[in-house]
Amino acid sequence: MSRSFLSKTVFIFGVCLAVSFSLVPFLLFVSSAFKTQTQITSIPPQWWPDFSLKFFRSALKNYGIMHYLLNSIIVAGTTTLVTISLGAFSGYALARLKKKWAHLILMGILACAMFPQIAIAGPIWRFLQIMGWLNTYHGLVLPYVALTLPLAIWILTLFFHEIPRELESASLVDGCTRFGTFIRVVLPLSTPGLFTASILCFIYAWNEFFLALLIMTDPARQTMPVGIALFQGEHTVPWGEIAAASFITTAPLVIMVLVFQRRIVTGLSAGAIKG
Amino acid sequence: MNPRDQRLYLAFLSPVILVLLCFIIVPIASSFFASLHRIIIGLPQLGNPFVGLENYRELLRDSVARHSFWITVIFVAVTTFFELLIGLFMALLINHRFPGRGVLRACVLIPWAIPTVVSAQMWRFLFSDAYGMINYAAFGAETARYIPWLAIPGTALSAIIIADIWKTSSFAALLILAGLQVIPEELYQAAKVDGARLWGRFWHITWPLIRPALLISLLFRTIDAFRVFDLAFVMTQGGPADATNVLQLYGYKKMFVEGWMGYGTAISVCIFLIVLILSIIYVRFVGRRLLEASV
Amino acid sequence: MKSLGNKWLFFIVISLLGFGAQYSYAKEPTTLVFLTWKPNQPEVWNRLVKEFHRLNPEIRVKFQVGPHSSTQYHAIVTQRLKNKDTNVDVFFMDVIWPPEFANAGWCMDLTHRFPVQDQEKFLHGPIAANRYKGKIYGVPCYLGAGLFYFRKDLLQTYRYKPPKTWQEMVDQGRMIIGGEKEKILHIYSAQFKQYEGLVCDMLEFIWSNGGSVIDQKTGEPTLDHPDVINAISFVRDQIIGNAAPEGVINYEEPESLDLFIQGKAIFHRNWPYAWSVANNPQKSKIAGKVGVGMLPAFAGHNSASTLGGWQFGINRLSRHPQEAWQFIQYMTSHQAQKILALEAGLAPTRRSVYNDPDVQDRMPHLRAFLPAFERARPRPLSPVYPMISQELQRFFSQAIVNKGSDISKLARNASARIQKLYKLGAMIK
Repeated sequence: MSRSFLSKTVFIFGVCLAVSFSLVPFLLFVSSAFKTQTQITSIPPQWWPDFSLKFFRSALKNYGIMHYLLNSIIVAGTTTLVTISLGAFSGYALARLKKKWAHLILMGILACAMFPQIAIAGPIWRFLQIMGWLNTYHGLVLPYVALTLPLAIWILTLFFHEIPRELESASLVDGCTRFGTFIRVVLPLSTPGLFTASILCFIYAWNEFFLALLIMTDPARQTMPVGIALFQGEHTVPWGEIAAASFITTAPLVIMVLVFQRRIVTGLSAGAIKG
Repeated sequence: MNPRDQRLYLAFLSPVILVLLCFIIVPIASSFFASLHRIIIGLPQLGNPFVGLENYRELLRDSVARHSFWITVIFVAVTTFFELLIGLFMALLINHRFPGRGVLRACVLIPWAIPTVVSAQMWRFLFSDAYGMINYAAFGAETARYIPWLAIPGTALSAIIIADIWKTSSFAALLILAGLQVIPEELYQAAKVDGARLWGRFWHITWPLIRPALLISLLFRTIDAFRVFDLAFVMTQGGPADATNVLQLYGYKKMFVEGWMGYGTAISVCIFLIVLILSIIYVRFVGRRLLEASV
Repeated sequence: MKSLGNKWLFFIVISLLGFGAQYSYAKEPTTLVFLTWKPNQPEVWNRLVKEFHRLNPEIRVKFQVGPHSSTQYHAIVTQRLKNKDTNVDVFFMDVIWPPEFANAGWCMDLTHRFPVQDQEKFLHGPIAANRYKGKIYGVPCYLGAGLFYFRKDLLQTYRYKPPKTWQEMVDQGRMIIGGEKEKILHIYSAQFKQYEGLVCDMLEFIWSNGGSVIDQKTGEPTLDHPDVINAISFVRDQIIGNAAPEGVINYEEPESLDLFIQGKAIFHRNWPYAWSVANNPQKSKIAGKVGVGMLPAFAGHNSASTLGGWQFGINRLSRHPQEAWQFIQYMTSHQAQKILALEAGLAPTRRSVYNDPDVQDRMPHLRAFLPAFERARPRPLSPVYPMISQELQRFFSQAIVNKGSDISKLARNASARIQKLYKLGAMIK
């Protein structure tokens, strides 16, 4: 009895630790969004804000957050859709191909993920310039797809590996094509992997800064990270507006995770094997 | 494997290969090529002569580059270790069924969800020696005792490490969690029936089965950690006295600030080679099982 | 049962829909692309551009923005210009870039459009910074110079005049802190992070001790010299961790200004913009108590300030150089500079604006800045300045961060590296 009580308290303590570790620094920063200008940089710091919404209003009105948000949604959303589609198809192929080939291709794909971004930013920029794709949505989405594919493919390959071949054989025997089997049997069972890869991919595209900075110089197309970087004026750092913008930029992601988190939870439970 | 299946797999793989070719492979090749020339964009009159491996020889002689390398190695080692540890801890917590677990999962993901440039600014703000919360938490209102974290070489590097650990532990947690999801519940039930305790269950069931997920996390974290840039750029610009001048930042300065395109890309190629070698070591000696068929 | 073909069709259609969603820009009368950073007061700039559109209906100016960070903006501009991008017509240049841009052939030679008699209407320093090998490559928009801010209320209480030497500043500061006890913490606040601003601040110390870092004629570094070494030792021993908090090693302009306007520092070095911030009661706790003047010097030498500011340049490959020049002429006209001064607080580069009665009325401090502006010195003018700056930043930071640093040895190392750079630059002569 006491052991279970002990393990419960340890567990709750662990949860509190995890939550405070993740939230406290962020809250401390975001609370600046609710302070007044002199409060933010007061020495010594005051951690309890006055709850003024001035910075939110300013961020929305003067700094045009909403349209950066829209651009980020478009770019990150498209990137995720494309990457997951391509990643699912290729991950399946890699999970089912001969080991030697699969190994080789996987390592090749991994090698692609290793090269420092700042070095390939230049050539990518030149390529986009030649194609006339600078300052366009697809000009940013395609490089992002290329940058997020490696991780997506590796995650999805792992998941597809774990799916028992008997399920697929059963489906093939039932008259389904390989492709049909993939769509109807394999994909639904890999939803945790799909959603994990989607979330990581979306967040990556949402937060990517360097390429977005180089490729999008037209304010109409700039995404959130670039937008926030542009808050900084000459010699001024509008902490209040930046904090407000951080709050606004993180909220959709948190909501998305809350909505989709159940999908990540559904594991390869016994249901698949029984049914 | 029948030829029809093979065609299907090829069709599945080809768009990926095309995209990777255009946007990664060709740029990498172009960078390799550039690193073999002396290219100074501000001095086009010098032409872009082919210099072979001269840039790399220069790199080995460059004391600043050597210093950057060691700084980066320390950064990678410390951050990867702690991120996997904390990530594992958080993944184990989230994997447990309890009410409010979704909220915990969302909370844990917040650090990863924030753009790096914002989180770098945030940590710069928190570590401030005048109005930073960390000093306030440690010393209260006694501003005279505040430590200028980002002004002392040793603590500046630690500050960057802490900022990175905070941000990326959730990435590791998410990957490890995905791996944990794959472990069937029956194994734990059976173990409990057999009388195994918490630690026993962890060591004999969880640990062996999450090794693939741990490996992926380790792999991708190491790759990313070697390429750290935003944190150093925003928080310290590489200072004080080059104490946080990580390799990628040094490469950036050489390429974009000073215009040494050839030399700067040579630095990037070196980062690439280091990471490549590390990955090969990981996968070969640690993760063979990952690529073998699952049993 | 879906066939493979249907799936591809579906995919292609989706992609096309996505791509086709791009609007196609309509053809307009000559569109000028102005690549700049996001201004502090965008409404002022927008108004100016609207007025320009009204006066020149056949030209339309389109803004493309990058971040204000000089290094990031430099990355964007150089990427585009070195790749022979013809989609940029006008761009901004930091005061240290014209030689680099001129030498690389990125900005247009403006000598025949901007003759000497017109140049003389501008302040001397900024014009000199835009010249390279006898030709002129940019038009100064606004300038900056290192200024010395102080708490005039405190100086008055203790009956001090603004210090003329650095040592005097430190002594005055000690007396004031002793007298005020708890309230004040530090004597001096400035920028010593390892970035371009460090070079600006350190040069002011070095120049005010009669030293210099490069011999402008021969290109030889002159770092290993007692004037330079003594100035740097003074900063390392008397300023960092002493008169100024050790944290200044991580300060850029905003943090150092915050220290001052929170009332925690008596003296402060910053650009002209700090004046309006320090006197704004919504942001500053010391509004109305601020004085400004020339920076102190070392005994027996003159005060020095580093020149800053931004200039307009035209892309050498621009397809509309005439229209670009019209835009620049308008933006640097007396009227436009007056508006930028009055409403955006940007110090003008035309002498006539300083003598304008409205400006004198509403911004009397600008006249107080003028002597510092006239005497502001540019950083070393060289096409390889960005590289030299990196070496100087490294040298200064290493010298002031470690208390026991052997400054002479560091100076020799830095000189060797800078000499190699100069040889590179010399190859192009």
